[in-house]
Amino acid sequence: MYDDYLTIALSKGTLLEPTLEVFKKLKLPGEGIDDKSRSMVFTYDKERVKYIMCRPTDVPAYVEQGAADLGIVGKDVIVEQARDVFEMVDLQYGYCRFVVAVPEAIKNIALKDLNYKRAATKFPVIAENFFRSQGLQVEIIKLHGNIELAPLMGLADMIVDLVSTGRTLKENRLVEFIKIMDSTTRLICNRVSYRTKHQQIQPLIENMQKLSTGGSA
Amino acid sequence: MKSRKISRGLRDLLPPELKVRRFMEEKAAALFASYAYEEVMTPTFEYLEVVEMGTGGNIREELFLFMDREGGILSLRPEMTTGIARLAATHLRDAVFPQRLYYLSNSFRYVQPHLAQYREFWQAGIELLGAEGVRADAEVITIAVKALQEMGLDNFKISLNQIAIFNSLLDDSGLNREEKDCIRSLVENKDLVELSRVLESLDIDDELKETIAILPVLHGGIEVLDRLPYVEKNRRALAAVQELREVYETLQLCGVIDHIVVDMGVLRGLDYYTGTVFEGYSPELGYGLLGGGRYDHLLGKFGFPCPATGFALGMDRLALLLKHPALQEAPRYLVGGKDFAAVIAQAEELRKQGFAVEIDVEGKSRQELERKLEGRENCITGGLIYV
Repeated sequence: MYDDYLTIALSKGTLLEPTLEVFKKLKLPGEGIDDKSRSMVFTYDKERVKYIMCRPTDVPAYVEQGAADLGIVGKDVIVEQARDVFEMVDLQYGYCRFVVAVPEAIKNIALKDLNYKRAATKFPVIAENFFRSQGLQVEIIKLHGNIELAPLMGLADMIVDLVSTGRTLKENRLVEFIKIMDSTTRLICNRVSYRTKHQQIQPLIENMQKLSTGGSA
Repeated sequence: MKSRKISRGLRDLLPPELKVRRFMEEKAAALFASYAYEEVMTPTFEYLEVVEMGTGGNIREELFLFMDREGGILSLRPEMTTGIARLAATHLRDAVFPQRLYYLSNSFRYVQPHLAQYREFWQAGIELLGAEGVRADAEVITIAVKALQEMGLDNFKISLNQIAIFNSLLDDSGLNREEKDCIRSLVENKDLVELSRVLESLDIDDELKETIAILPVLHGGIEVLDRLPYVEKNRRALAAVQELREVYETLQLCGVIDHIVVDMGVLRGLDYYTGTVFEGYSPELGYGLLGGGRYDHLLGKFGFPCPATGFALGMDRLALLLKHPALQEAPRYLVGGKDFAAVIAQAEELRKQGFAVEIDVEGKSRQELERKLEGRENCITGGLIYV
């Protein structure tokens, strides 16, 4: 569907508020946006901008397929899905890190001794790639939530998960064993939109870059 | 066996789709022929070593590989240019150059299938062999523009670049192969975040860093070439910039400049490109429509050094955009009757006049045939003739 609106896919949830703050500074419209409302599309005719409200994990798909021109989403989701999109700006907020965490009882284990152990995770791609890059064979068990439960119940020997403060780990008597990568929020762009809507997109990118590196837009 | 499975990423094509496909092929073939290009065909599979002459070793996981009975490793062709380079280096050594060749062919890649990306895909393309220089580049790009126009597409852009600008800058940076490959893929995928991080960590000239960082987002008219600070210091890059300007000017002469934008981020994935490169996009589709460029060293790898340029157009993707192409079909009649000899005579008479005729081979009555015709008025445009 082609129109001259710039369509931006927004992540519902914790990223929404800081995203809207950035948009405000960039003079992008933002009135009435709410991820609890029933509407999922917000259209601003005067500014020729549309927002669509998505689950964070769906944002890359909307952008890759061109249903949205731009998307705001965490690096964690981008890496896990390995979608064919352009990654234009690091917006800095929404920081978290990917870690391998092990039960306190084995916190002094050597990395090589994780070979042929089981890791529970919501991010099988990232987990698999990390262990492979270390030359390790690890069995990945994909779960959809409450990853910390898996080692407690003997389902897995360790977990690969996103951590921001580390409190959840502590509560479940897990310790951060090794950091895989950092993640922050990114602006992603459809490959073709970048070229066909360049005049709308490029200034936006430049302003976001300035803003995120500490300058003013 | 009741299995109706087909392998992932493949598909059946039914008459409505094939009508569009053939329409596109006819348009493409007629256009190519009008520029004096002649059709060739190469084998559907080649030895892996031949395929990798062109693609380099970096797309092996996208190849469909198998072995022949003698133990040779074969690959379904992932693209057409390498096969045509081999063909030219084998059969056209004594030909008068430039040679102009075109193809309408399928190729195969083990990719993640989705809309507009299949594991068997069809391309129409041309190769202009034996001609160096700006005019040859401009001819090929002009034909690319016209091909899209001929098929009924208006809203599209061709992104133009000269790959030697980027390559010469990297060559003189003192970076090792691994670092270069990394930067190349970051620029190509416009991973600006990682690119700026990597550039920061490298010990190279600041102006060069700045130039590399800006390449992926340099996009627009020819004036974007004025924004490359480091290029003045690099003779080969400077020459490449000059050449890009000349291609742009020549495309103005060719009357297709309205569709051209300069985009320094276009590097093309394949290893063999050496000079002018380009890709075509429509705002109505999230994936590229065509791609091509100059590959002056590829034929040399087959022992026949010869400059070359060309492009390939993705027919499957283009077909998605041509919902209602101007198909020209002869009116179709349904002819039936008790006397089969009369039916045949009537049908032959209509066919001679250029109509398409469907004969009732089931010996149905007029009423039955009329009932059969209901709802098929769009198909049997000529109507029923009962003799």
